[in-house]
Amino acid sequence: MTRMKSVLKARETTSFIFLAALFLLVGVINPSFLTMGNISACFNTSVVYTLVAVGMAFAVFVGEIDVSVGSNLGFVATVVGCLLRDGANWAYAFGVGIVIGALVGLFNGWGVAVMKVPSLIFTLGTNGILRGLMYIYTGGAWVENLPKSFKDFSSVTLIGSFTVYYCCAVALVAGIHIILTRTRRGRYFIAVGDNAGGAELVGIPAVRTKVLAYVICGVLSAVAGIIFCSRIGFVTSASGNGYEMKAVAACVLGGISLSGGVGSVIGSAIGAVIMASISYLLVFMGFSSNYDNAITGIILITIVVIDALMQRRSAVRNRHARLAARTAGEGEEVSAK
Amino acid sequence: MKTWFNRLRKGPNFSWNAFLVLLLVMEFVIFGSANQKFLRPALLLTSANDFLPVCMISIFVTFVMITGGIDIQVSSIVGLTSIVVGVAWQDFGLNIWAAVALAVIVAALCGALSGFFIAYCGVQAMVVTLGGSFLYSGLALLVSTLSSTESYQGISGFPDPFKQITKYKLFGAVPLQIVIFLVLLAIAYLLLHRTKYGRRVYLVGVNPQAARYSGVNTCRVIMSTYILSAVSAAVAGVVMTSYLGTAKSDLGGNLTMNIITACVLGGTLSTGGKGSIIGTGLASIAIGLLRFGMPLCFKVNTQYLDIPIGVLLLVVVVGRSLAGNPAVIAKFGRLRAGRKGKKEQAAA
Repeated sequence: MTRMKSVLKARETTSFIFLAALFLLVGVINPSFLTMGNISACFNTSVVYTLVAVGMAFAVFVGEIDVSVGSNLGFVATVVGCLLRDGANWAYAFGVGIVIGALVGLFNGWGVAVMKVPSLIFTLGTNGILRGLMYIYTGGAWVENLPKSFKDFSSVTLIGSFTVYYCCAVALVAGIHIILTRTRRGRYFIAVGDNAGGAELVGIPAVRTKVLAYVICGVLSAVAGIIFCSRIGFVTSASGNGYEMKAVAACVLGGISLSGGVGSVIGSAIGAVIMASISYLLVFMGFSSNYDNAITGIILITIVVIDALMQRRSAVRNRHARLAARTAGEGEEVSAK
Repeated sequence: MKTWFNRLRKGPNFSWNAFLVLLLVMEFVIFGSANQKFLRPALLLTSANDFLPVCMISIFVTFVMITGGIDIQVSSIVGLTSIVVGVAWQDFGLNIWAAVALAVIVAALCGALSGFFIAYCGVQAMVVTLGGSFLYSGLALLVSTLSSTESYQGISGFPDPFKQITKYKLFGAVPLQIVIFLVLLAIAYLLLHRTKYGRRVYLVGVNPQAARYSGVNTCRVIMSTYILSAVSAAVAGVVMTSYLGTAKSDLGGNLTMNIITACVLGGTLSTGGKGSIIGTGLASIAIGLLRFGMPLCFKVNTQYLDIPIGVLLLVVVVGRSLAGNPAVIAKFGRLRAGRKGKKEQAAA
């Protein structure tokens, strides 16, 4: 178990080292990047990605995926934006947004865990429905003229030059990480993702855990939608498009295995910072933002391929070690090969 | 004729294909009765232009899904093909057909690259094709900056022979696009259901271990399916470019959901091992007609169309999962037995 833990830890540290190396590389190319303001800007812009990626991490932990987070975010942003524009109470608007997110999560969880529909397909359907509902709700119009106090709140800083939103997100991620690793129920998520059948046999309610994972994912994307609304200041009918893919990419960059049961939310939060800062960093390296997608793709593919190759190598090495142990004398020749 | 019919009837997917045919008939009846225009052959054939790219790609994505993979990069390959054709023709001065050939080769290479990582490095298909969708749409954007034309305008003014791909009408009625689709459908059908290669694709999906032990080069088979789907995306990209008359790097960007929906609605199992070309073909046409009929007959805004398609997808997958659930089957069995019992009682 301790070895297992150290492996998990190694996965996040790799992504953290990668992030630090990325910052240093950009700093070497363009020294004007290495100021507190620029670095904190990278973290501050990542807040929406962080929340979505942590939500996605829950779905991925239990061995599923949720591609409806993007349109969930967009739909919640639309509804909350409209409510605030029409002068609703903040708490009421946020409450409505979060309830919508939870209901979407519950629906996804029902389809995936109870009805046993492949998660990619079910959430793809939810994605389409929510995207359509967004058009119906606004009639295709932009949601603008949000209250100024709401928009300005996004630039209020709490510690140093980090915004309130980012600090809250960090606290949330830390809290979730402690719950996931230190409490009994928190560990259910990883257990179900690692081996659903085995988890059920030892008495873990696998179906309920999966539904809960989806509800958490929905709620976090709803919160991300509210923050999106506040940061950007307007909502279009295409808002939130593509966030699902970026969230999956952030999870993968953070060392979470898409087959479930491996990784941590801290990893996905670091991955989200990498994803969010790529376009920012490119500006400092003198590339146009046209390179954004291509470089994201290259980084993503490189990391997963290296990860897969390393895993395969360690599996082969383990097999050889087992073989060597079993067939004492002959084993050495095998492992020598 | 009869044996062919029998084989179709006894095929594993017969009941599903029958359902899809029923769905198509229902669409014709409902849309036709709502608006007579829907049944006008000329309009119907022209409308096909809008959804044929999805049909063309989805029949080859079926191959990928049968091996147990998934391909979400095809929509970005459509845009890449389009812009490569445009830039190679306009800015590099290539012959238009040479440009098309170049674009198809580029697409095949893209498919091969992703396929290589999936098959030989053992990375999950979802992750690699996700990265691929970023990478290839990014490449498309970069290629578009090589052009002297601003990327948002798109490259237009293609020579007539190229435009004829979609303007020409066979027998004065059937657009050439439909012929291209039918040819692709025939190729896919023969490849999957009539060749050794097709059997291998199924075997890899059902049980890769067994496939490997029986001498199938599973890695090569898996990689080849991604090349096939990429080439089909390239063909769709060329057709779309010709139809719209402009080459743009973001063409086809939102096709992914429609393609996956068509495959799943067509009875392809996303875990692999099951699926048929006829099923996917029928399903993709059913989705296309839905996209065409809803706005025409019920004045549904085209931007709302994601809802009916999403609902259709969910209803189908939930329905199939219910139908495969032993508890539900038992319940239906009891229900039927109960009804029979009541009938007998009434008769007595």
